[in-house]
Amino acid sequence: MTRYGFGCSSSRCATASRAICLFGLFALSGCHGTPAAVPTKPRIALVMKSLANEFFATMAEGARRHQERQPGSYDLIINGIKDERDLSRQVALVDEMIAQGASAIVIAPADSKALVSACKRAKDAGIVVVNIDNKLDDHVMADQGIKIPFVGPDNRAGARKVGEFLAKRLKPGDEVVVLEGIRTAFNGQERKAGFGEAMTSAGIKIVDSQTAQWEMDQANRIASAMLGEHPQLKAILCCNDSMALGALAAVKTAGRTGEVSIVGFDNSAAIQSAIKDGAVLATADQHADQLAVHGIELAMKLLKHENPPADTSTPVDLITAESLAKP
Amino acid sequence: MELNPAEHAPPPEPSQQHWRFRSAFRLTGFADVLGMLAVLGILIILFGFLSRHFLALRTLQSVVNQVPDLMVIAAGMTLVLVAGGIDLSVGSVLALSGVILGMAMADWGWPLVPAIALCLSIGVVCGLANGLVSALWSIPSFIVTLGMLEVARGIAYLVTNSQTKYIGPRIEVVGQPLPGLGVSPAFLIAIVVVLSAHILLTRTVWGRYVQAAGANEQAARFSGINTRRIKLMTFVLSGLLAALGSVFQVTRLSSADPNGGIGMELSAIAAVVIGGTSLLGGRGSVFRSVLGVLIIAVLQTGLAQVGATEPTKRLITGGVIVLAVVADIHRRRWSNAAASAWRRVRPLTPRAEKSTFRRRP
Repeated sequence: MTRYGFGCSSSRCATASRAICLFGLFALSGCHGTPAAVPTKPRIALVMKSLANEFFATMAEGARRHQERQPGSYDLIINGIKDERDLSRQVALVDEMIAQGASAIVIAPADSKALVSACKRAKDAGIVVVNIDNKLDDHVMADQGIKIPFVGPDNRAGARKVGEFLAKRLKPGDEVVVLEGIRTAFNGQERKAGFGEAMTSAGIKIVDSQTAQWEMDQANRIASAMLGEHPQLKAILCCNDSMALGALAAVKTAGRTGEVSIVGFDNSAAIQSAIKDGAVLATADQHADQLAVHGIELAMKLLKHENPPADTSTPVDLITAESLAKP
Repeated sequence: MELNPAEHAPPPEPSQQHWRFRSAFRLTGFADVLGMLAVLGILIILFGFLSRHFLALRTLQSVVNQVPDLMVIAAGMTLVLVAGGIDLSVGSVLALSGVILGMAMADWGWPLVPAIALCLSIGVVCGLANGLVSALWSIPSFIVTLGMLEVARGIAYLVTNSQTKYIGPRIEVVGQPLPGLGVSPAFLIAIVVVLSAHILLTRTVWGRYVQAAGANEQAARFSGINTRRIKLMTFVLSGLLAALGSVFQVTRLSSADPNGGIGMELSAIAAVVIGGTSLLGGRGSVFRSVLGVLIIAVLQTGLAQVGATEPTKRLITGGVIVLAVVADIHRRRWSNAAASAWRRVRPLTPRAEKSTFRRRP
C-alpha cells in the first residue's frame, strides 16, 4: 500500500523505462554496437523505511520537492515499506529497483546488516548505491568486500548536545532515566550513547533505561512505572519525540510537572508546541527534509564519476524554546 | 427433596435445561473470578517483593489511569467474541478516531464535546462497515476486520500526513486524574461502560441472543433470532468502544498519534481470553475480561518498574497469557472429572443435592 504512496507514478515510469530500454536495444542492434544517442536522464530510486513515519515522510517530501525544482536533471522513484521491521520487503524493493534498471539507489536501510547483500547485488549490477540515515554495518560490508558512501546525521553528537543542554539545568548526582528506541536500530543506539556521554561527563546518574519501541503509548506506560519506582527522578531523556510526548503525559499524571524535565529527539511538529509551552525542554533537529536530498546529490556526483567523497555527516541542531522563538 | 423423574429422561425439558445452564454458569463464573483474583494477587505480591516502590498508592493510580482504553475495548471485544465473531480492527479504529479527535481540536479549533461526538461517530461508522460487510455478505469477520485494520490505519496516516497532533491542556480534563480522588474521569466512565456491558450480556434478552448466536448460529436463526442484526450490533458496539478508548488515550497523552493502538487488538484478545471467553463464541463474561485487562496491566507496570529488559518482558507476558488459559481450561476439566467421579461413587444423591441447591428462595 505504501509502496507507491509517494513520488512519481511509478507504473508510468516503469513503462517509460521499458520503452527506453527497448528503444536502446533496437538502436544497439541496428547500429552494430554504437552507443544509443538518446540522452537519458538518470533514474534515482529512493528506498525508504516506513513512509507512515513522519520522519521518513518528511524526508521523501523533501526529495520530491528537490526533484520538482529540477525536473530535467533526474527521475525519482520513491518506495517505502509498511513498517520499520519489514526487512524482507525492503530487500525485495532493492531487487525490484535493480530489475527496473535504476541508475542509482539511495537507501535508508531498515537494518544495518540485513540490507548489505541486497546493496551488493545492486552494485554488482552497476548501480550507484548511496546509504542515508542509518549506517550500514562496516564489518558486514568489509566481509562482502564493498564500500558504500554514507550520508547521515550524527545522532550521537546531536543527542550529546541535547544532553548537555539538559545537564546545565541539573546538579551532579541527580537521577535521570532514558527511554530508548527499538534496540536493533543504529540511530537509537547512537542517541542513547550520546545521552549517556553527556550525563556521565556531568556526573549525573542514569538509574534506568528501557525501550518503549519508539511509541507514545508504550512510553507513557513505562515512564509512569519509572516515575513510581524513582521518586527522586529529575529528567526523562527520550530517543524520539513521540516517546517524549508520552513521557510528558506521564509526568503530568503523576503530578510532577516542573520537577521532572523531558528532552526528545527529531523536532517533530507536535513537540514544537510542547517546547514553546515549556513542557518539554529540548529536542534535536536533523533536518529530515534535507537528508535524502544530500543522498541524491551525492549519487548524482557519483554518476558523473566525480571523486567519491568519504562518509559525510549532515548537521544536527539543538532546538529549545529560545531557538523556536527566533524567526 | 424428592427425585424428579423427569430429570433422568435423556432430553430434559427446555425450561429445566435453562435452569441448569444458568446455575452452572454462575458457579463456574464465581470460581473463575476467584482463580483470576488469585493470579492478580500473586503478581502483585511478587512485584511487591521485586520492586522497592511497587506496593504504593502511586502505582495503583498509574495502573488505574492507564487501563480505561483497554478496558472498554476488551468489553467490546468480549461482545463480538461471544457472538461468534472477532474484531481485529480495534487498534486501527482507535488510531483513526483518535487522530480525528486530535485534528478537530488542534487544527479546526472545535470544542471538546462536539469533537468527541465526531470521534465516537467515526468509531460507529467503522463498526457499521465491519458489521454490514461480514453479516450481510456472510464473510468471516476475521477477514473483514483484517481489511478494516489496514484501511483505518491507512486513513489515519493519510488525514494526518503521518504527523502526531499535539492538543495540549485543553483536552486533559477526561484523562488526567481528578484532584483529591487520584482517579481520572476516564476510569469512572470505563467502570460504568463495563458494568453496562456486563449487564447487557448477562441480564438482558439481547445478551441471551448474543450468546445463542455465538453458540450455534443456525439453531438461533431457526428459533427466530435475527442473528445478523445481533452480530451487526456487536461490531457497532465494538467500533464505538474502540473510539471511546481513543478518547481516553488521546486525553491521557494530550496528543493524537496515528501510530497509536498498534497491536491493541492482540492485547484486547489476550485479556478477553485470559478471562475465559471462548474464541469460538457462545461463552464469555465482560467482568472476567476486565480482570484479564488488570492482570496484563499489572504485569506491564510491574515489569517496567523492576526494569526488566524487552525480551524478558515479552517472554513473561507470553508465558502468563498461555499459563492463565491453560490453568483455566484444566481447572474446568479437573472439576468435571471430580464431578463425574463423585457421580460414579454416589449415582443418585448428587443430583438430589444439586436440585436442592438449585431451589433457591
